Amino acid sequence: MSTSSLLATLAGGLYTDENIFALEQQRIFEEMWFCAVRSDDLGKPGAFRTVQVGRESVIVSRAKDGSIRAFLNVCRHRGARLCAEESGEVRRAFQCAYHAWTYDLEGKLIAAPNLTKMPDIDRVAYGLVKVHVREWLGYVWVCLADEPPSFEEDVLGAVVTRLGDLTSIENYGVENLKVGRRIVYDVKANWKLIVENFMECYHCATIHPELTEVLPEFADGYAAQYFIGHGAEFGAGIQGFTVDGSPGVDRIPGVTEDQDRRYYAITIKPQVFVNLVPDHAIVHRMFPLAADRTVVECDWLFLPEVVESGRDLGPSVELFHKVNEQDFDACERCQPGMSSRAYANGGVLVPSEHHIAIFHDWVAGRLGLTR
Amino acid sequence: MIPACPLAALPRGEAYRLDIDPPVAVFHTDDGEVFAVDDTCTHQDASLSDGWLEGCEIECPLHSSRFDLRTGRVDSPPAKLAVRTHGVVVEDGMIYVVPSDAAPNLPPGLAAGRAGNES
Repeated sequence: MSTSSLLATLAGGLYTDENIFALEQQRIFEEMWFCAVRSDDLGKPGAFRTVQVGRESVIVSRAKDGSIRAFLNVCRHRGARLCAEESGEVRRAFQCAYHAWTYDLEGKLIAAPNLTKMPDIDRVAYGLVKVHVREWLGYVWVCLADEPPSFEEDVLGAVVTRLGDLTSIENYGVENLKVGRRIVYDVKANWKLIVENFMECYHCATIHPELTEVLPEFADGYAAQYFIGHGAEFGAGIQGFTVDGSPGVDRIPGVTEDQDRRYYAITIKPQVFVNLVPDHAIVHRMFPLAADRTVVECDWLFLPEVVESGRDLGPSVELFHKVNEQDFDACERCQPGMSSRAYANGGVLVPSEHHIAIFHDWVAGRLGLTR
Repeated sequence: MIPACPLAALPRGEAYRLDIDPPVAVFHTDDGEVFAVDDTCTHQDASLSDGWLEGCEIECPLHSSRFDLRTGRVDSPPAKLAVRTHGVVVEDGMIYVVPSDAAPNLPPGLAAGRAGNES
């Protein structure tokens, strides 16, 4: 253990250098499990979404048999982008807008001009390039690696590291919840600044007045993520995880007494944050698009009957929406400083931020950099 | 009469491509009827047997023109000409195609007796 109060951060250049970002795309986002799409967003066969994963555009869609498939969004003929839209629905097939090469919902090449004159074309071999898929928490996770890492170790393991076990998250039945609200944030900051921000609470008393009101212990600067299995407790007069401390909506039935009136936060590297409170879950998915740009899709998930009832989710959504805006403003405030000579060697982490050094070591390790 | 395939080998909703010149597509509809038409779309060289069969209509997989299997008529562009229909006989569990005497409506670049597509 270090005896110093301060630990070094990463150097500023790691947040601005396009070559570093390209390396992160290759060795982090294209190698690891990446949380791409809410399964419910793919309602019926043919529904699709396209997402940016590392350097690749990926089509995530529902096949005829109801299962979810993912493909690189590239026609095998001449490389045209197959689906230009962010989301949509095809009736029966994906068709390239260039020469009409046509692929079924399982990715197989089924038609093309003059195809029957080229009987040597293997319609499976020239099908869309498949991407590995897993479903968990009601989300589609994809992995672009030929041999994906263990989902159990990397994804479930991150939850166990934070909460102590898997049961704690299973109690919330996140896969059965419905999206009550989704807000997409276009953040002009490096993805690592957003991860670091989410991991610490040294900033909470300064920039999150509403959150600190609901979770008074956050004023200490020690985030829930500093500990294992710790949920930050609601303040004495607080009735729910809402912007004004008013009662929330119906509690999720599986949530235990120990978990009631507490907030839990989990970072699943490299791009997911899960927040759990008794009556809802908030899931952030980050889509790093450039060294200085990250799109964050944030879902507020409630019991289906709560969403269907049309009840006012405003106070619940407003609390973390404010937190998001406050956090992303802070990240955008940091981004320009990353290329200053004042930050060439980086900055420092105070003790309540020391656990961020583990994240920094992990990033450096993935990129093959020595710190 | 040209033998195509056993009826039992062609489930309802599916197509069989008879590789003669020009090729013929045999369809077994969901209602149990069997039809035969030229396999090639009248608009561009696409195989109708790879298309989408709905009722008595086959939709070209490339540009979505739909042909009525009973008459050969096309519903909407880009195909403009009807596809040639053929007679069908099912005998002893075998599907036979009775080729039409009419001239086929093959797309530009394809002519009967010529398999290539060089322009």
